[in-house]
Amino acid sequence: MAWVTWRQHRAHAFGALGLLVALAVAAVLTHLPIASAFGHDSLSACLPSAPRTGCDIIVPHFESEFSGLVTATRVMAVLPLLAGLFVGAPLIARELEFGTYRFAWTQGVSRRHWLLSKTALLAVGTLVAAGAASLLVMWWRSPFDQLEGRIGPSGFDIEGIVVPAYALFALALGVLAGLVFRRTVAAMTATLVAFGATRALVADFVRPHFVAPLHRVIAAPSTSAVPGDWVLSNTLVNAGGQRVTAGNEELAVLHAQQAGIDPHTYILTLGWKRIVSYQPAGRFWTFQLFEAGLFVALAVALILVTLWLVRRTPV
Amino acid sequence: MSAPPLVAQGLGKRFRRRDWALRDLMLTIPKGGIVGLAGPNAAGKSTLLSLAAGLLAPSEGSIEVFGRNPLQAPEVLAEVGYVAQGAPLYRSFRVADTLEYARRTNPRWDTEIAIELLTHIDSRAKVGALSAGERARLALALALGKRPRLVLLDEPFASLDPLAGRELLQLLMDGVAELGATVIVASHVVADIQRVCDHIVLLSSGCVRLEGDVEELLDSHRLLTGPRRPLGSIRGVREIVRERYSGRQQTLLAITDGPIADPSWTVDPVSLEELLLAYMAPERLPTPRRAEGIPLRWHG
Repeated sequence: MAWVTWRQHRAHAFGALGLLVALAVAAVLTHLPIASAFGHDSLSACLPSAPRTGCDIIVPHFESEFSGLVTATRVMAVLPLLAGLFVGAPLIARELEFGTYRFAWTQGVSRRHWLLSKTALLAVGTLVAAGAASLLVMWWRSPFDQLEGRIGPSGFDIEGIVVPAYALFALALGVLAGLVFRRTVAAMTATLVAFGATRALVADFVRPHFVAPLHRVIAAPSTSAVPGDWVLSNTLVNAGGQRVTAGNEELAVLHAQQAGIDPHTYILTLGWKRIVSYQPAGRFWTFQLFEAGLFVALAVALILVTLWLVRRTPV
Repeated sequence: MSAPPLVAQGLGKRFRRRDWALRDLMLTIPKGGIVGLAGPNAAGKSTLLSLAAGLLAPSEGSIEVFGRNPLQAPEVLAEVGYVAQGAPLYRSFRVADTLEYARRTNPRWDTEIAIELLTHIDSRAKVGALSAGERARLALALALGKRPRLVLLDEPFASLDPLAGRELLQLLMDGVAELGATVIVASHVVADIQRVCDHIVLLSSGCVRLEGDVEELLDSHRLLTGPRRPLGSIRGVREIVRERYSGRQQTLLAITDGPIADPSWTVDPVSLEELLLAYMAPERLPTPRRAEGIPLRWHG
């Protein structure tokens, strides 16, 4: 079956390789000015562990200079989906659409063996390709990761071991969708929707609770958290610990302005504080492990369901 | 090893909410020889072959290939050469790739057998670029290269011109003779199969209408032509399958159980095509019953 899988999917392998090469070239070219700016500005002295005076000027300048590129790298979040759309979804759907399953499933290899071999080999290829893409992104983003951290979604989603895990999940999702919907286009659509929904749900509702978030109380007027942390919520509370609504905060500021007092000082005298709930930067790899484990488990469950269904599928 | 190539017991298949494609089918295909699976379109021929190839699950009853359920025990498919209608193959594969696929996925594969059937076909040609006849030959080569004990062909001649059809039939005959396999050929065109079949199964509306050895069937049926008259019992006639009138003449297709003594009847042998058409006609079905001593079964 290894030969069969290679013969049927070598175009995918070449496509993935081509995409990776193109990404690598783009990464190297765009990284050159970043690396030189990072070196010249001696930004390393401004890393969160050793903040110095003047860093508040250098760092924002550096960040704003390359913010467009950093935003562009967020596109990498859709990369794992490609495995589901172009490899997973057509795997069974194409055979059903073109009738070739009548050939493939009547040879001396059982349907289950056929599906398991193909899925396993394609999974290995997917993991390798996604892993390479992830390494590339990690290398490219490392200056920004050192300044801004990477546990926040903009870094977390496209770095580390979650990228191959997402790709594996997308692949498994595509294969199952192909079996259920029997049409490549329908299977691709279903894969797209289900992948997007699952990723969003996990990122918004599950990931923040992998480990109980930490809290930090800071003086009310300052809003800046320690760079590198993933801030989940930032609430203004009064001296009694009750939440201050945005309306009340506005009223207080207005009141201070009318009285001719500095609003910051006024809020301080009121005893208002900010409670910041956050996940510290140091939990990056723990969170990566949790999230990757979750998606690998989902992928394995999907593959098991597909293996169970494929034998029962009337065609 | 002694289990027959195909046994269906109370076999039924229904697709979603549609009507039954097959219903309450009892059938045993004996070992050896070529079995013609005849019947009009939508008679259930393809469904029966798909069930035998393990592509479909029965809705009721059971089907066994060499004593094994092809869905539960897919390893039996290594001994079955199945060619689906239209011979679906990977169009982007070269002929050599397709053979390699079969070699890698079949434990009993024999490239020699396949190559013999592919003379004058360029092994580097893309499957999508082959003519219908060449593709049918490739599909047959893939089926026979498995050294199967059972060959299932679903309308193999449907897309072929008569010459290519005849050529394919000859290849099939030669290949099967070498392998000693049992062959089931489904076709709605009787002419395609009557030259080669030893045994015939006639399906219509999901039921077996007629089944038996071709020679015995032809021996036991006669066409009687004579002046039109009320029909009593005729000596030598066990059952009348079909009556047809033209002017003052009437023609009977009858099952005989002895010589026809009455000289007013002209007695002629019947062709297989005529016989099958008579049994296909839904309005003149004989009452279902089993005759003693006659190797012929009706399931009406």
